[in-house]
Amino acid sequence: MPPGSESAVALLNRIAQGDRDAFGRFYDRYAATAFGLIRRVVREDAAAEEVLQDVFWRIWQEAAQYDARRGTPEAWLIIRARTRAIDRLRAMRRRSKTFALPIDRSVERRPDVEAENPGIAAEQRGLVESALAQLPVPQRRVIELGFFEGLTQSEIAARLGEPLGTVKTRVRSGLERLREALKGQGNRES
Amino acid sequence: MSEISGLRPEEIAELAAVYALGGLDGEDRARFEALLDAGDAEAVEALRVHQETLAALATQSAHQPPAALRSALMARIAEDARAGARPPLPARARPRRALWPAVWAGALAAGIAAVVVGLWLSTSYDRRLQALAQEAAALRAELTRQQAVLAILRDPATQVVALAGQPVAPTARGRMLWHAQAGGILVTTGLPPVPAGKTYQLWAITGQRPPVPAGTFGVDTGGVASLQVPPLSGVERVDVFAVTLEPAGGLPAPSGDMYLAGKS
Repeated sequence: MPPGSESAVALLNRIAQGDRDAFGRFYDRYAATAFGLIRRVVREDAAAEEVLQDVFWRIWQEAAQYDARRGTPEAWLIIRARTRAIDRLRAMRRRSKTFALPIDRSVERRPDVEAENPGIAAEQRGLVESALAQLPVPQRRVIELGFFEGLTQSEIAARLGEPLGTVKTRVRSGLERLREALKGQGNRES
Repeated sequence: MSEISGLRPEEIAELAAVYALGGLDGEDRARFEALLDAGDAEAVEALRVHQETLAALATQSAHQPPAALRSALMARIAEDARAGARPPLPARARPRRALWPAVWAGALAAGIAAVVVGLWLSTSYDRRLQALAQEAAALRAELTRQQAVLAILRDPATQVVALAGQPVAPTARGRMLWHAQAGGILVTTGLPPVPAGKTYQLWAITGQRPPVPAGTFGVDTGGVASLQVPPLSGVERVDVFAVTLEPAGGLPAPSGDMYLAGKS
């Protein structure tokens, strides 16, 4: 268990009891991580800010639902942030498809261009993290398509033209490898 | 082999990985969630490990959100707490013991009462301090806003764009003052009232690039509104300003009817 996670559990317990100070500390500790992830998924600052507010508002209201047996508070927050961000991304894509403003049609094409080449788009954004970059491209792609683009396993399989079983295996081996890579970075830093 | 599902450990590990990624669908999802509900130790542990890996990945791209966001959230939860939506802080309460000697009970009660009064006083003092801090922050924000407005009005580089009502609101009118570095101000008249769950949203459009969201606003009964727009990053020259009706909170790309538009 990483240092500080124990008191993060204590913070969540206090938040569940309505402690605003604990909420402020929890926000200060994790907002940047959540915001970085949300920004990467929705790719638009104003939308990312709204999603972040929504995520933390729900933390305030739903802190009692946190179950320490299911993972660290950080993981709990990140999964929630990711889920809300993907919801927002899907809504944005639906709307951009029906968008009919006559002045500029290029907005209809933009999300699809990026979706076709998530790896390239990610590199252009300068957002490929070093740990993710250490993975072989096929493993990295399935993780990016799933975690950052919000595609399901069937959608990833269809997109890549690979069997579903291959996609699952790649996700698993990719995540295991990523875990080792992150550990390695952690060791170097400490 | 899991006793509940008949799945091999390999299969559980794969389902847990895809589930952590948020990508499990169909029958696989139903099966894995059944495992979790049943408290299958292998499934729970595999999922926990993968979720922590993804959380660690996320920390690598941490990005500090604007400070205003924190203030807004803290103000919102303070409202929530004041409205009595939350139970009082139980951390102050002490567990009572049943067998205290009666002679001490009175003295203790008096002591506890003093503590409670003290806590109440310090809590209300805290609240007052917080209210004052919020007031000061609001005044500072207003001052900054007015200075920005003055700067825009004074600068000869400020563009003035007339916005005309579109077919859905032919009598609506708008004026946009726009300065690439300082931002801008939009004023409107004659816009229809905003339906529930909707908002007007301003867009800045340059050439063939996608419209850039420039703020959301509502109108008073005369369809009058004024909106201050901060400088938009990456936006210098603006060719067209447009106003559309969008779901509350606004969208990253326009989806609704256009109410006002004007070329600079």
